[in-house]
Amino acid sequence: MDANIPNIPAAPGDEWPSDWLRATLGFLALRALESGPSYGYAIIRELEVHGLGTIKGGTLYPLLTRYEAAGLVDTEWRPGEAGPGRKYFAVTERGRAELERLRGDWARFTNVSTSYLGATGPRKENIA
Amino acid sequence: MNVTSSNKKWFDELTLELRMRDVFGHAIGDAVATARELLLDTGQSAEEAFGPARAYAASLDLPRGSGHDWATRGLWTSMFGLLAFSLFVQTVGAWTQEELLLITPAQLVIAAALGGLVALLPLYLAAAIRRPWLLVLLFAVGAGCGFLWSAMTPATTAEAWISLDPLPWLLGSAIAMVLLSTWNTIQTLRRGNLDDITAPIPARPAAGIRGMRVFVMFTNWLFPLFAAIMLCVVILFTT
Repeated sequence: MDANIPNIPAAPGDEWPSDWLRATLGFLALRALESGPSYGYAIIRELEVHGLGTIKGGTLYPLLTRYEAAGLVDTEWRPGEAGPGRKYFAVTERGRAELERLRGDWARFTNVSTSYLGATGPRKENIA
Repeated sequence: MNVTSSNKKWFDELTLELRMRDVFGHAIGDAVATARELLLDTGQSAEEAFGPARAYAASLDLPRGSGHDWATRGLWTSMFGLLAFSLFVQTVGAWTQEELLLITPAQLVIAAALGGLVALLPLYLAAAIRRPWLLVLLFAVGAGCGFLWSAMTPATTAEAWISLDPLPWLLGSAIAMVLLSTWNTIQTLRRGNLDDITAPIPARPAAGIRGMRVFVMFTNWLFPLFAAIMLCVVILFTT
Protein backbone atom coordinates (compact mmCIF):
# COMPACT_ATOMS: atom_id res chain seq x y z
CA MET A 1 0.00 0.00 0.00
CA ASP A 2 1.19 3.54 -0.79
CA ALA A 3 2.69 5.13 2.32
CA ASN A 4 2.61 8.65 0.87
CA ILE A 5 -1.11 8.90 0.47
CA PRO A 6 -2.39 12.41 1.08
CA ASN A 7 -5.12 12.44 3.68
CA ILE A 8 -8.13 13.64 1.73
CA PRO A 9 -11.12 13.19 3.98
CA ALA A 10 -14.48 13.93 2.51
CA ALA A 11 -16.13 17.04 3.89
CA PRO A 12 -17.80 16.45 7.29
CA GLY A 13 -21.00 14.54 6.76
CA ASP A 14 -20.16 14.19 3.08
CA GLU A 15 -20.85 10.67 1.79
CA TRP A 16 -21.11 9.39 -1.74
CA PRO A 17 -24.46 7.91 -2.71
CA SER A 18 -24.44 4.32 -1.55
CA ASP A 19 -25.42 2.95 -4.97
CA TRP A 20 -22.38 4.65 -6.54
CA LEU A 21 -20.13 2.95 -4.00
CA ARG A 22 -21.91 -0.37 -4.47
CA ALA A 23 -21.23 -0.19 -8.18
CA THR A 24 -17.57 0.77 -7.88
CA LEU A 25 -16.40 -0.92 -4.66
CA GLY A 26 -15.30 -4.06 -6.52
CA PHE A 27 -12.58 -2.46 -8.58
CA LEU A 28 -11.75 0.08 -5.87
CA ALA A 29 -10.98 -2.83 -3.52
CA LEU A 30 -8.86 -4.52 -6.21
CA ARG A 31 -7.06 -1.20 -6.68
CA ALA A 32 -6.38 -1.03 -2.93
CA LEU A 33 -4.67 -4.42 -3.22
CA GLU A 34 -2.75 -3.61 -6.40
CA SER A 35 0.41 -2.50 -4.61
CA GLY A 36 0.54 -5.53 -2.30
CA PRO A 37 -1.37 -7.75 0.12
CA SER A 38 -3.46 -5.99 2.71
CA TYR A 39 -6.03 -6.73 5.42
CA GLY A 40 -9.61 -5.60 6.01
CA TYR A 41 -9.10 -2.53 8.16
CA ALA A 42 -6.16 -1.31 6.03
CA ILE A 43 -8.29 -1.58 2.87
CA ILE A 44 -11.09 0.38 4.56
CA ARG A 45 -8.60 3.10 5.68
CA GLU A 46 -7.01 3.21 2.21
CA LEU A 47 -10.37 3.93 0.59
CA GLU A 48 -11.26 6.38 3.36
CA VAL A 49 -8.10 8.49 3.05
CA HIS A 50 -8.67 8.70 -0.69
CA GLY A 51 -11.99 10.38 -0.07
CA LEU A 52 -14.21 7.42 -0.93
CA GLY A 53 -16.00 7.37 2.44
CA THR A 54 -16.05 4.76 5.18
CA ILE A 55 -16.83 1.28 3.91
CA LYS A 56 -18.32 -1.08 6.48
CA GLY A 57 -16.97 -4.54 7.11
CA GLY A 58 -20.43 -5.89 6.26
CA THR A 59 -19.98 -4.48 2.75
CA LEU A 60 -16.29 -5.20 2.17
CA TYR A 61 -15.93 -8.80 3.37
CA PRO A 62 -18.84 -10.27 1.36
CA LEU A 63 -17.28 -8.70 -1.73
CA LEU A 64 -13.87 -10.14 -0.89
CA THR A 65 -15.31 -13.63 -0.29
CA ARG A 66 -16.97 -13.43 -3.73
CA TYR A 67 -13.65 -12.37 -5.26
CA GLU A 68 -11.85 -15.17 -3.48
CA ALA A 69 -14.39 -17.70 -4.79
CA ALA A 70 -13.95 -16.22 -8.29
CA GLY A 71 -10.14 -16.48 -8.05
CA LEU A 72 -9.55 -12.71 -8.17
CA VAL A 73 -7.93 -12.61 -4.73
CA ASP A 74 -5.99 -15.04 -2.57
CA THR A 75 -5.97 -15.03 1.20
CA GLU A 76 -3.37 -15.87 3.79
CA TRP A 77 -3.48 -15.74 7.58
CA ARG A 78 -0.40 -14.27 9.22
CA PRO A 79 0.26 -14.47 12.95
CA GLY A 80 -0.29 -11.15 14.73
CA GLU A 81 2.31 -9.54 16.95
CA ALA A 82 0.03 -9.60 19.98
CA GLY A 83 -3.40 -10.46 18.66
CA PRO A 84 -4.80 -13.61 17.09
CA GLY A 85 -3.53 -12.90 13.55
CA ARG A 86 -4.56 -11.11 10.40
CA LYS A 87 -6.12 -12.27 7.18
CA TYR A 88 -4.27 -10.77 4.22
CA PHE A 89 -5.88 -10.45 0.81
CA ALA A 90 -3.70 -10.42 -2.31
CA VAL A 91 -4.83 -9.77 -5.85
CA THR A 92 -4.12 -12.68 -8.24
CA GLU A 93 -3.03 -12.43 -11.88
CA ARG A 94 -6.63 -12.97 -12.85
CA GLY A 95 -7.63 -10.18 -10.46
CA ARG A 96 -5.08 -7.83 -12.00
CA ALA A 97 -6.41 -8.56 -15.48
CA GLU A 98 -9.94 -7.90 -14.24
CA LEU A 99 -8.82 -4.63 -12.62
CA GLU A 100 -7.22 -3.50 -15.89
CA ARG A 101 -10.37 -4.32 -17.81
CA LEU A 102 -12.61 -2.51 -15.32
CA ARG A 103 -10.24 0.46 -15.12
CA GLY A 104 -10.47 0.90 -18.89
CA ASP A 105 -14.25 0.45 -18.93
CA TRP A 106 -14.65 2.93 -16.08
CA ALA A 107 -12.46 5.54 -17.81
CA ARG A 108 -14.53 5.25 -20.98
CA PHE A 109 -17.78 5.42 -19.01
CA THR A 110 -16.73 8.52 -17.02
CA ASN A 111 -15.49 10.22 -20.20
CA VAL A 112 -18.77 9.59 -21.93
CA SER A 113 -20.91 10.64 -18.96
CA THR A 114 -18.75 13.71 -18.18
CA SER A 115 -18.90 14.73 -21.80
CA TYR A 116 -22.65 14.28 -21.86
CA LEU A 117 -23.17 16.14 -18.57
CA GLY A 118 -21.00 19.04 -19.75
CA ALA A 119 -22.57 19.33 -23.17
CA THR A 120 -25.32 21.80 -23.94
CA GLY A 121 -27.72 19.40 -25.51
CA PRO A 122 -30.67 20.15 -27.77
CA ARG A 123 -33.91 21.01 -26.05
CA LYS A 124 -36.42 18.19 -25.76
CA GLU A 125 -38.73 19.74 -28.33
CA ASN A 126 -35.88 19.89 -30.88
CA ILE A 127 -34.96 16.19 -30.65
CA ALA A 128 -37.72 15.04 -32.94
CA MET B 1 -26.67 -5.33 27.01
CA ASN B 2 -22.96 -4.37 26.86
CA VAL B 3 -20.80 -4.64 23.74
CA THR B 4 -19.08 -7.86 24.83
CA SER B 5 -22.29 -9.76 25.46
CA SER B 6 -24.03 -8.33 22.38
CA ASN B 7 -20.97 -9.29 20.29
CA LYS B 8 -21.02 -12.80 21.77
CA LYS B 9 -24.69 -13.14 20.85
CA TRP B 10 -23.95 -11.82 17.34
CA PHE B 11 -21.09 -14.31 16.82
CA ASP B 12 -23.25 -17.16 18.14
CA GLU B 13 -25.94 -16.19 15.64
CA LEU B 14 -23.39 -15.88 12.82
CA THR B 15 -22.03 -19.37 13.55
CA LEU B 16 -25.55 -20.81 13.68
CA GLU B 17 -26.60 -19.09 10.43
CA LEU B 18 -23.47 -20.27 8.61
CA ARG B 19 -24.01 -23.79 9.96
CA MET B 20 -27.61 -23.70 8.70
CA ARG B 21 -26.25 -22.80 5.25
CA ASP B 22 -24.05 -25.92 5.40
CA VAL B 23 -20.84 -23.86 5.33
CA PHE B 24 -17.81 -26.06 6.11
CA GLY B 25 -16.39 -25.78 9.61
CA HIS B 26 -13.01 -24.33 8.58
CA ALA B 27 -14.77 -21.56 6.59
CA ILE B 28 -16.97 -20.73 9.62
CA GLY B 29 -13.83 -20.44 11.77
CA ASP B 30 -12.24 -18.21 9.13
CA ALA B 31 -15.30 -15.92 8.84
CA VAL B 32 -15.56 -15.55 12.61
CA ALA B 33 -11.83 -14.81 12.99
CA THR B 34 -11.95 -12.26 10.14
CA ALA B 35 -14.88 -10.43 11.73
CA ARG B 36 -13.16 -10.44 15.15
CA GLU B 37 -10.00 -9.03 13.58
CA LEU B 38 -11.88 -6.03 12.16
CA LEU B 39 -13.70 -5.38 15.43
CA LEU B 40 -10.36 -5.32 17.27
CA ASP B 41 -9.09 -2.78 14.73
CA THR B 42 -12.13 -0.49 14.65
CA GLY B 43 -13.52 -0.87 18.17
CA GLN B 44 -17.01 -1.12 16.64
CA SER B 45 -19.71 -3.48 17.81
CA ALA B 46 -20.38 -6.46 15.54
CA GLU B 47 -23.89 -5.22 14.69
CA GLU B 48 -22.51 -1.78 13.80
CA ALA B 49 -19.73 -3.12 11.57
CA PHE B 50 -21.54 -5.99 9.87
CA GLY B 51 -25.27 -5.47 10.34
CA PRO B 52 -27.58 -8.33 11.40
CA ALA B 53 -25.75 -11.68 11.66
CA ARG B 54 -28.33 -13.46 9.49
CA ALA B 55 -28.01 -10.96 6.61
CA TYR B 56 -24.21 -10.96 6.90
CA ALA B 57 -24.06 -14.77 6.81
CA ALA B 58 -26.29 -14.76 3.72
CA SER B 59 -24.00 -12.27 1.97
CA LEU B 60 -20.80 -14.32 2.37
CA ASP B 61 -19.73 -16.61 -0.46
CA LEU B 62 -18.07 -19.42 1.49
CA PRO B 63 -17.30 -23.08 0.69
CA ARG B 64 -20.29 -25.19 1.62
CA GLY B 65 -22.05 -28.49 1.07
CA SER B 66 -25.24 -28.88 -0.92
CA GLY B 67 -26.97 -26.35 1.33
CA HIS B 68 -29.97 -28.51 2.15
CA ASP B 69 -28.70 -31.71 3.71
CA TRP B 70 -27.55 -29.99 6.92
CA ALA B 71 -31.06 -30.64 8.24
CA THR B 72 -31.57 -34.10 6.86
CA ARG B 73 -28.01 -35.39 7.45
CA GLY B 74 -28.36 -36.05 11.15
CA LEU B 75 -31.86 -34.91 11.83
CA TRP B 76 -33.99 -37.62 10.24
CA THR B 77 -31.92 -40.42 11.71
CA SER B 78 -32.03 -38.74 15.14
CA MET B 79 -35.81 -38.30 14.93
CA PHE B 80 -36.39 -41.89 13.82
CA GLY B 81 -33.98 -42.95 16.57
CA LEU B 82 -36.13 -41.06 19.06
CA LEU B 83 -39.30 -42.74 17.76
CA ALA B 84 -37.61 -46.17 17.93
CA PHE B 85 -36.44 -45.39 21.47
CA SER B 86 -39.99 -44.34 22.46
CA LEU B 87 -41.35 -47.61 21.07
CA PHE B 88 -38.65 -49.54 22.96
CA VAL B 89 -39.59 -47.79 26.24
CA GLN B 90 -43.25 -48.71 25.73
CA THR B 91 -42.57 -52.36 24.90
CA VAL B 92 -39.78 -53.23 27.34
CA GLY B 93 -42.07 -53.12 30.43
CA ALA B 94 -44.71 -55.30 28.80
CA TRP B 95 -42.08 -57.78 27.61
CA THR B 96 -40.34 -58.18 30.99
CA GLN B 97 -43.70 -58.65 32.73
CA GLU B 98 -44.74 -61.13 30.04
CA GLU B 99 -47.80 -59.07 29.18
CA LEU B 100 -49.27 -57.98 25.87
CA LEU B 101 -48.64 -54.48 24.55
CA LEU B 102 -52.05 -52.82 24.83
CA ILE B 103 -52.93 -49.81 22.68
CA THR B 104 -56.05 -47.62 22.63
CA PRO B 105 -57.26 -45.43 19.72
CA ALA B 106 -56.29 -42.34 21.72
CA GLN B 107 -52.71 -43.61 21.91
CA LEU B 108 -52.70 -44.15 18.15
CA VAL B 109 -53.84 -40.53 17.69
CA ILE B 110 -50.98 -39.37 19.93
CA ALA B 111 -48.48 -41.51 17.97
CA ALA B 112 -49.82 -40.08 14.70
CA ALA B 113 -49.49 -36.53 16.08
CA LEU B 114 -45.87 -37.19 17.08
CA GLY B 115 -45.15 -38.75 13.67
CA GLY B 116 -46.69 -35.70 11.97
CA LEU B 117 -44.60 -33.37 14.11
CA VAL B 118 -41.45 -35.20 12.99
CA ALA B 119 -42.51 -35.49 9.33
CA LEU B 120 -43.20 -31.75 9.09
CA LEU B 121 -39.86 -30.81 10.71
CA PRO B 122 -38.29 -29.46 7.50
CA LEU B 123 -41.09 -26.86 7.32
CA TYR B 124 -40.38 -25.32 10.70
CA LEU B 125 -36.96 -26.50 11.80
CA ALA B 126 -35.07 -23.35 10.72
CA ALA B 127 -37.61 -21.16 12.54
CA ALA B 128 -37.37 -23.37 15.63
CA ILE B 129 -33.57 -23.22 15.72
CA ARG B 130 -33.65 -19.42 15.48
CA ARG B 131 -36.28 -19.14 18.25
CA PRO B 132 -35.33 -21.03 21.41
CA TRP B 133 -38.85 -20.68 22.88
CA LEU B 134 -40.24 -22.61 19.91
CA LEU B 135 -37.69 -25.39 20.50
CA VAL B 136 -38.71 -25.54 24.17
CA LEU B 137 -42.36 -25.69 23.08
CA LEU B 138 -41.61 -28.56 20.69
CA PHE B 139 -39.81 -30.52 23.41
CA ALA B 140 -42.69 -29.82 25.78
CA VAL B 141 -45.19 -31.09 23.19
CA GLY B 142 -43.04 -34.21 22.66
CA ALA B 143 -42.74 -34.84 26.39
CA GLY B 144 -46.48 -34.17 26.85
CA CYS B 145 -47.30 -36.72 24.16
CA GLY B 146 -45.06 -39.26 25.89
CA PHE B 147 -46.75 -38.61 29.22
CA LEU B 148 -50.23 -38.85 27.69
CA TRP B 149 -49.30 -42.10 25.97
CA SER B 150 -48.25 -43.63 29.30
CA ALA B 151 -51.29 -42.24 31.12
CA MET B 152 -53.63 -43.72 28.54
CA THR B 153 -52.13 -47.21 28.64
CA PRO B 154 -55.09 -49.54 29.27
CA ALA B 155 -55.04 -51.74 32.37
CA THR B 156 -56.87 -54.69 30.83
CA THR B 157 -57.10 -56.33 27.44
CA ALA B 158 -60.80 -55.46 27.30
CA GLU B 159 -59.98 -51.72 27.30
CA ALA B 160 -57.41 -52.07 24.53
CA TRP B 161 -58.14 -51.65 20.85
CA ILE B 162 -55.03 -53.47 19.76
CA SER B 163 -53.15 -56.18 21.69
CA LEU B 164 -49.67 -57.00 20.43
CA ASP B 165 -46.93 -59.40 21.34
CA PRO B 166 -44.24 -56.92 22.55
CA LEU B 167 -41.20 -59.05 21.59
CA PRO B 168 -41.17 -58.36 17.79
CA TRP B 169 -41.69 -54.64 18.46
CA LEU B 170 -38.99 -54.63 21.13
CA LEU B 171 -36.53 -56.38 18.80
CA GLY B 172 -37.59 -54.22 15.84
CA SER B 173 -37.07 -50.97 17.75
CA ALA B 174 -33.70 -52.18 19.12
CA ILE B 175 -32.49 -53.20 15.64
CA ALA B 176 -33.74 -49.86 14.21
CA MET B 177 -31.80 -47.93 16.87
CA VAL B 178 -28.58 -49.86 16.16
CA LEU B 179 -28.96 -49.46 12.38
CA LEU B 180 -29.64 -45.71 12.68
CA SER B 181 -26.64 -45.25 15.01
CA THR B 182 -24.44 -47.23 12.62
CA TRP B 183 -25.63 -45.06 9.73
CA ASN B 184 -24.89 -41.86 11.72
CA THR B 185 -21.42 -43.18 12.60
CA ILE B 186 -20.66 -43.95 8.94
CA GLN B 187 -21.85 -40.46 7.95
CA THR B 188 -19.71 -38.86 10.67
CA LEU B 189 -16.64 -40.80 9.51
CA ARG B 190 -17.30 -39.99 5.85
CA ARG B 191 -17.57 -36.24 6.51
CA GLY B 192 -14.28 -36.36 8.41
CA ASN B 193 -13.29 -32.91 9.59
CA LEU B 194 -15.65 -30.92 7.32
CA ASP B 195 -17.82 -29.88 10.27
CA ASP B 196 -15.03 -29.04 12.70
CA ILE B 197 -14.98 -25.30 13.33
CA THR B 198 -11.28 -24.55 13.38
CA ALA B 199 -9.46 -21.27 13.90
CA PRO B 200 -7.34 -20.23 10.88
CA ILE B 201 -4.33 -19.92 13.19
CA PRO B 202 -4.99 -22.72 15.68
CA ALA B 203 -4.78 -21.71 19.30
CA ARG B 204 -6.72 -24.71 20.56
CA PRO B 205 -4.73 -27.94 20.84
CA ALA B 206 -5.70 -30.75 18.46
CA ALA B 207 -6.78 -32.78 21.49
CA GLY B 208 -9.80 -30.46 21.83
CA ILE B 209 -10.96 -31.32 18.32
CA ARG B 210 -10.33 -35.03 18.90
CA GLY B 211 -12.38 -34.80 22.10
CA MET B 212 -15.20 -33.15 20.14
CA ARG B 213 -15.11 -35.97 17.55
CA VAL B 214 -15.29 -38.62 20.28
CA PHE B 215 -18.25 -36.72 21.78
CA VAL B 216 -20.06 -36.67 18.40
CA MET B 217 -19.45 -40.42 18.02
CA PHE B 218 -20.80 -40.94 21.54
CA THR B 219 -23.98 -38.95 20.77
CA ASN B 220 -24.54 -41.17 17.70
CA TRP B 221 -24.99 -44.11 20.08
CA LEU B 222 -27.03 -42.41 22.82
CA PHE B 223 -30.35 -44.13 22.07
CA PRO B 224 -28.98 -47.71 21.97
CA LEU B 225 -26.96 -46.92 25.10
CA PHE B 226 -29.97 -45.57 27.01
CA ALA B 227 -32.07 -48.49 25.77
CA ALA B 228 -29.47 -51.01 27.02
CA ILE B 229 -29.32 -49.27 30.43
CA MET B 230 -33.13 -49.24 30.62
CA LEU B 231 -33.32 -52.94 29.72
CA CYS B 232 -30.77 -53.79 32.46
CA VAL B 233 -32.65 -51.70 35.05
CA VAL B 234 -36.05 -53.19 34.14
CA ILE B 235 -34.69 -56.76 34.22
CA LEU B 236 -32.96 -56.06 37.56
CA PHE B 237 -36.14 -54.71 39.19
CA THR B 238 -38.38 -57.39 37.67
CA THR B 239 -36.24 -60.25 38.95
